[in-house]
Amino acid sequence: MDKILSKKKYIALFVGPAFLMYLLFGLIPILYNLYLSLFKTNLLGDSTFVGLKNYIHLFQDQFFRQAVANNLKFVLGSYAAHMLLALLLSNILFQKIKGSRLFQSVYFMPSVICGTAIGMLWTFIYHPDFGLVNGFLKAVGLESSVRIWLADEKTVIPALIVVTMWQFVGYHMVIQLAGMKNIDAVLYEAASIDGASRWQQFTRITFPLMKPILKIDSVLIVTGSLKLYDLVAVTTSGGPNHASEVLSTYMFTQGFKALKFGYSSTIATMLLVLCIGATLIINLVFSGKKTDY
Amino acid sequence: MNRQRVLTILKYMILVLFLIACLYPLLWLIMNSFKTQEELFTNTWGFPHVWTLENYKHAVVDGKIGIYFLNSVVVSVISVAGTIVLSVMASYGVTRLKWKLSKTTLSIFLLGLMIPAYGSVIPLYSIFNKMGILNTYLAVIIPHITFALPTAIFILTGFFIAVPRELEEAAIIDGCSLFQAFRRVVTPVVVPGIVTVTVISFINIWNDLLFSQIFLTDKKKMPLPIGLTEFQGIYSTDYVGMIAAIVITVIPVIIVYVILHEKIIDGMIAGAVKG
Repeated sequence: MDKILSKKKYIALFVGPAFLMYLLFGLIPILYNLYLSLFKTNLLGDSTFVGLKNYIHLFQDQFFRQAVANNLKFVLGSYAAHMLLALLLSNILFQKIKGSRLFQSVYFMPSVICGTAIGMLWTFIYHPDFGLVNGFLKAVGLESSVRIWLADEKTVIPALIVVTMWQFVGYHMVIQLAGMKNIDAVLYEAASIDGASRWQQFTRITFPLMKPILKIDSVLIVTGSLKLYDLVAVTTSGGPNHASEVLSTYMFTQGFKALKFGYSSTIATMLLVLCIGATLIINLVFSGKKTDY
Repeated sequence: MNRQRVLTILKYMILVLFLIACLYPLLWLIMNSFKTQEELFTNTWGFPHVWTLENYKHAVVDGKIGIYFLNSVVVSVISVAGTIVLSVMASYGVTRLKWKLSKTTLSIFLLGLMIPAYGSVIPLYSIFNKMGILNTYLAVIIPHITFALPTAIFILTGFFIAVPRELEEAAIIDGCSLFQAFRRVVTPVVVPGIVTVTVISFINIWNDLLFSQIFLTDKKKMPLPIGLTEFQGIYSTDYVGMIAAIVITVIPVIIVYVILHEKIIDGMIAGAVKG
């Protein structure tokens, strides 16, 4: 039996095709990307080795710095907003609530919808003439607050963070809820008997025992904000005046519009480094003593 | 007791408020797709007074949304089928076959869960250019399958590990070849996992913008998301036509979601929470 299961022919037949594809079009291109970032190239034949010049140029490039700053704004803004709202909702749904499944299913739904379509939907919601946001403000007498949300350098990032919240808070809530459901119900019974309030139960039991799932969720929110593309590309293309430029859109325009593919690869490398770096930092932050009762 | 009741009411209010916030924009989108452009401005919030199908006609006939839709179907079906075949075989190979590097191979596949696609699009552009397949369906199908594999393999290996070994042993003793045992005996047991993988990869592939934006320039080959941006470029002031086109894009996924939401949620959570 074992002889059949360890025949090399079968292993190659079963695992080979997928592994080859993943190697050729997934892993090798990442290394090739690193290599390309050392060149000045339009991919059509003109190609000069420039060493680390692209990287040096990157740090002097004010639009790159702006893109990094904007990504950080997205990371911080989304993190605070997603976490707080998702925690609030997951804590409510963790209790006995009628229609809990229905709430979860509806909240989760926007996260499966096409980001391009959502971006366009929200350009209509923010539309200066017939959009819901300005319409609502006018209806409640706050006409002074009416503005062209996506064309105003001050409001464009908060406005886009609201869109990501609409799309993903339900997703994060369901992830957190999955973590809470793993907590032993006995702990809550014991705490109730001892007279602990709901808030104490949250701070002493739920929150510490949720740490592993919060770690995963933090990684998802942070890397998600770093990789943000569809929404920005569709709503503002990084505008107005680079006010919502992020690394992915800048990489796209530098490569496929300006045909500076070497430079574009450099930006892609930085994006990769930031994602991996952020994951490591979050793992470190959450690595403290594991709570166990 | 009274305080308890106030709290309960407050909880339900928050839940319902968020429910409305989730649903109303979608309802608004669908309602407005049946309005005339004038009514969009005069009656933004409510149901249309006069229902019209003109917007859909315009989106399909002039906006060529039908062609984009077909392209989306072709690309999604082939990519999902490819993902399923490759990931089921690979997952079987790394969990059921006995070889030294099986664990290492699995970790290399799972590494892909961490790596964003952005790191490889420029090299892929160059590679596809040299292969002469830019601007063909293949140029989007290949990256779709490649980047769907890690999640698919992650989910499927979980299912394959749970299948008792005796099953294929008995089949092979009864005279099945390994391949027959794989196809007729083991794979049918993991069908729930295959359904989950199918749905998740379908959603991701159907929704993708980046790959088609980079690898396709021929409008006749473009799928829906990029088609939407094309439509927006040409008919930038035809808001209701645009809205109808958006509805056509999101409806298939919403229908799939309504039917299979429990599977989708469980699968996406499992894919995200790899521990």
